[in-house]
Amino acid sequence: MNNLNLKSTQSTPSVYALAETGKLEMRGDSYPENSFEFFVPIVAWIEEFLNGRSTPFVLELHLLYLNTSSVKAMMDIFDLLEEAHADKRAVSVQWYYDPDNSRIAELAEEFKEDCTFPFEIIASE
Amino acid sequence: MDHADLYLLRETYNQKCMSICFNGPFSQGLIEEIGNALRTYLKSEDANTSASLDVFAVYVEIAQNIRQYSSLRGYNEADASATVVIGRDNDGRHVISAGNIVEVADGESLCERINELAQMDKTQLKAAYKEQLRKPRDESTPDSGAGLGLIDIARKASSPVSCALRPVNAGSRLFFSLQVVI
Repeated sequence: MNNLNLKSTQSTPSVYALAETGKLEMRGDSYPENSFEFFVPIVAWIEEFLNGRSTPFVLELHLLYLNTSSVKAMMDIFDLLEEAHADKRAVSVQWYYDPDNSRIAELAEEFKEDCTFPFEIIASE
Repeated sequence: MDHADLYLLRETYNQKCMSICFNGPFSQGLIEEIGNALRTYLKSEDANTSASLDVFAVYVEIAQNIRQYSSLRGYNEADASATVVIGRDNDGRHVISAGNIVEVADGESLCERINELAQMDKTQLKAAYKEQLRKPRDESTPDSGAGLGLIDIARKASSPVSCALRPVNAGSRLFFSLQVVI
């Protein structure tokens, strides 16, 4: 399967996914005009990985700001992970945040409330 | 604009502590550029990152809602124009005011929804947010999350969001305006 490597823009995060390691990283802001469209290849990559491989999947987030339509897209991803977790797949989320930016930690906490797979919210150094 | 008008405009800006003011049709590029200027400005004057981020977030939601709405309705440049003012109130709190032209029925239902949200406490707003987040997308407009955006704005506001309507274009449409205090 292909790897994903998207450069960040002013309103979209960088996305880096390696099938070999089973890790997908997102860094930056997410408030594109068409969040739904932006997330389509990301969701597709995760689906392909979960269906095609049996190794663990890790979602590593270094996101700073998400508009509400990006929040909705992230929820779709967490729903996918929740399903995979129910199927006994090893999936986890590591959400890093700047301690000066408590808002993003609060957002991560709200997502975590609805997830039963390992979900860590980590203050960056 | 003549000299006296310009001076009056300046006086108004100063009195109302207005730091950023925009009037015209939004594009995604402009939303990002103004957002960038807003962030830089907030960073320079404010150590409280959470409040700054809330101001930025509310600005983005409002600007993207307005842009999506006017393109959904197929408005021309004049009717698609948004008026956005970001400043502070007498207590030093950030205030975001924004207005745009809407259809009469849309304006009325929008105000009704905002007034409903204004009655809710933080716990009720959170429940409403999660409920809206779970609602299926409208296939034709997958990004028009206006419902979610409004709740998000209400959650970030430190006092209830207020709105107003006034007839324009000889009463055929309304000017909808909203005020959010962070």
